[in-house]
Amino acid sequence: MQAKTRRLAAGFPRATFARMSPEMRQKAMWLLPPAAWFVVFLLVPYLITAYYSFGHMQSYRYVPGFSLANYIRIFSTAPYSGAIAQSAVIGLLTAVFSSLAAYPVAMVMAFCITRPAARSAMYVLVILPWWASYLVKAYAWKTILGPHGILNSLLVDLHLIASPMTILLYNQASVVLTLTYIFTPFAILSIYASLERIPASLLEAAEDLGAGGVQIFWRIILPLSVPGLLAGAVITFALGFGDFVAPALLGGADTLMISTIMINLLGVANDRPLASAIGIIIAGLAFLLIGLMDWAERRVTVRL
Amino acid sequence: MRAIGSSRLLMAASAVVMLFLYLPLLVMVVMSFNAGASVGLPFTGFSLDWYARLFANTQIMHAIGNSLIVAAGTVAISLPLGVMAAVGLDRYEFPGRAIFRRVVLLPLILPGVITGISLMNFYIINGVRLSLATIIFGQGTALVCVSLTEVYARLQQLGRSQYEAAQDLGAGEIACFVRVILPNIRGAVVGAALISASISLDEIAVTYLLTGRQNTLPMVIWSLLRREATPLVNAAGTLMVVATAVLVTAGLRLSRGGEGESGG
Repeated sequence: MQAKTRRLAAGFPRATFARMSPEMRQKAMWLLPPAAWFVVFLLVPYLITAYYSFGHMQSYRYVPGFSLANYIRIFSTAPYSGAIAQSAVIGLLTAVFSSLAAYPVAMVMAFCITRPAARSAMYVLVILPWWASYLVKAYAWKTILGPHGILNSLLVDLHLIASPMTILLYNQASVVLTLTYIFTPFAILSIYASLERIPASLLEAAEDLGAGGVQIFWRIILPLSVPGLLAGAVITFALGFGDFVAPALLGGADTLMISTIMINLLGVANDRPLASAIGIIIAGLAFLLIGLMDWAERRVTVRL
Repeated sequence: MRAIGSSRLLMAASAVVMLFLYLPLLVMVVMSFNAGASVGLPFTGFSLDWYARLFANTQIMHAIGNSLIVAAGTVAISLPLGVMAAVGLDRYEFPGRAIFRRVVLLPLILPGVITGISLMNFYIINGVRLSLATIIFGQGTALVCVSLTEVYARLQQLGRSQYEAAQDLGAGEIACFVRVILPNIRGAVVGAALISASISLDEIAVTYLLTGRQNTLPMVIWSLLRREATPLVNAAGTLMVVATAVLVTAGLRLSRGGEGESGG
């Protein structure tokens, strides 16, 4: 009897903890703190954002509610739906161009460089621009393409053009170029991870059987690199889609992206519910894409 | 691999791409030593003038201090949580394990503005005022995945025999971790700390939405850039690139012994 009351007095959590097996207690010790942290600082905030997105602002105050008005507004009003489409186009172009630029480098890393030391050096060469400051990389292109930038001064000095061109900067092309530049190293690493796993014996066998380089590429290398190619492209797309730095620094009137709108809504307009709804839509699209990638990977991947 | 290995076209294409990756950074580094006041050509002469001005700029120096505080705080939060989660994931099966792994990676996969706005809403609802601390909690949460991934990979290589031997010999759980596991994963832990610090020093999306009155370095550069391109930013950018290059090369070397896997 006494033991029972004491246990009750000790409170529920400690009682549970005491009843655990040592293995369970260890498990809880390692996993409970990070899990609790993620619930409080990640899942709860995401849920709050979802909750906010169903309310609205009235004379600068948030009014909770359960209405789909924000979502309807985003999908049916031109600036919002147009910006989503525009972001998707920019994300897609970025994914395609960075995959194209990345492929040859990944192939050289995987097949042409054989000495381990040289391969490590190449790996570092690829990874350094990826880690270099994001802001600095976007800025570097601004100094190159700007009206007083390197490219214009060079062309004027060479008398190829009479006066600096202004069409180089502040448009969709300069944003896509910059995002491609930023994400190409990531795409290289992603494709390389797939290529690296292709056994040399497979390629040698194909060669011995008389296949040429082009045939080996189309029939062995490319199909086996699909997982890396897809993973790289999907993440590049998602990051390009949600970017707001490149459009702010290098974009123009034709590059109104959805993250930029979201951030502006949080600033001057102070419409947090609408901004939250945009956030939820971007997150939803990202999940959809990742799910799609998992599905496509399972269908296309050739098991070795 | 003669057929592929000797392809000149392949070599040429990748040389062009590598040039594309390095030329802009090179331009910036070179122009940071330009004596003239324009961000573009002509290069009027070598000078350290812009670096002198950078170090004399109190706003930027203050921001560098703030950035270092944020980076230290971010590592202090994300590293212990990442190591704990990595040990837990490496050792135990439990319901929701797959979901847990996905949730941890969310801040890496979702665009940063989503984590940013979510934490901003969270702080507003709880009446927390935005400050350096709110940035630290935001980045600290977002970067747990870095420590988790690095340390988890090392633990998987390590295997469990040493840990089991120590346990059989009567070492308690904490003694086991401090004296057996930690010495073995030290490289990965230090590497993860350096990589997290370098990401933190450069982070924009989450920081942008969680910044109060105190600015970090990327925020100050951002506001400088919105106004005009100044050679001052060339100098700041060069220093940032050098700092990340040092941090990340050291971090990768420590955590993976020089040769990397598919990290990014």
